[in-house]
Amino acid sequence: MSTHYYAFGSICRGEVDRSSDVDLLACITGPGPDLDSEKFSIYQHARLRDLWIEGNPFAWHLYLESKLLFSSDGVDFLGSLGAPGTYRSGIEDCNKFARLFAESAQQLTQTHVNATFNLSCMFLGVRNLATCYSLWRGSPVFSRRSPMLIDIPLGVEAGAFDVLTRARVLSTRGIGVALTREEVMLAIRAVTTVRAWMSQLLAEVHQ
Amino acid sequence: MTEFNNRIAAQRDILFAVNGAGWEEELYGLSRGALDRWVQSNQLDRSSRLVSLLMEVAGKLFFLANKSQEQVTSEYRLLSSEVSVLTEEIRRELKQQA
Repeated sequence: MSTHYYAFGSICRGEVDRSSDVDLLACITGPGPDLDSEKFSIYQHARLRDLWIEGNPFAWHLYLESKLLFSSDGVDFLGSLGAPGTYRSGIEDCNKFARLFAESAQQLTQTHVNATFNLSCMFLGVRNLATCYSLWRGSPVFSRRSPMLIDIPLGVEAGAFDVLTRARVLSTRGIGVALTREEVMLAIRAVTTVRAWMSQLLAEVHQ
Repeated sequence: MTEFNNRIAAQRDILFAVNGAGWEEELYGLSRGALDRWVQSNQLDRSSRLVSLLMEVAGKLFFLANKSQEQVTSEYRLLSSEVSVLTEEIRRELKQQA
């Protein structure tokens, strides 16, 4: 069975720094090789075809920001799929990520237990909402700084967004300096601004 | 609430139970990196029941813990009943340690 490996994400955008990891995709059919799922996102070829048909944001991400590293049959599998279908779940996805942000912010404002995890989820909510909104808009931005790069940019202090980003790296990779209480408070002070920004984006997609 | 949000909530519950017990450094997530850091920071025995249970539940929540880019694919498959059982076991284990 054929196997295809791709790099995608920040390395393909040239958006790499000390906290970046290299996103790798393995496209396989059947059980495939014994790969480390911590290192690779492992997808069946058939599943990727489905994601392409449904116009899933991940399909668009791969279509726009992936590079073939290896092909066992000489075929660029993702390239052969062409452009993904129209993105249709913008409202549902934006609601989902707004809710993630709201629930995480709610616990964070009640207690500092789980602060880093909740900030990490808030990053995920903010970033993925911005990305899904941009895709719905027809100008996809997959950068981890997508909230600041879309047509309705998030206007919070750079320091507050950096706290969210660091929390995400601490939560997903366990690396980085632990957040101080002052840094957590800086992020909490940005919550109202983020909520207002999210409401604006949601109003757009619900129109 | 969507299944996605439910799954994040399940992870939050587990971490809240663990972090409520008070540690030198909190458990920041259920990724391998976060668990390794927590074990090391708190000088825990890697083979202890608590760490084993957390590793097990982390395996079930893997996609949620690690794959920021793929939170929109619904690729993460979760047996929610298994996660509930493990969460209860983690709570019991924490209570015994208290």
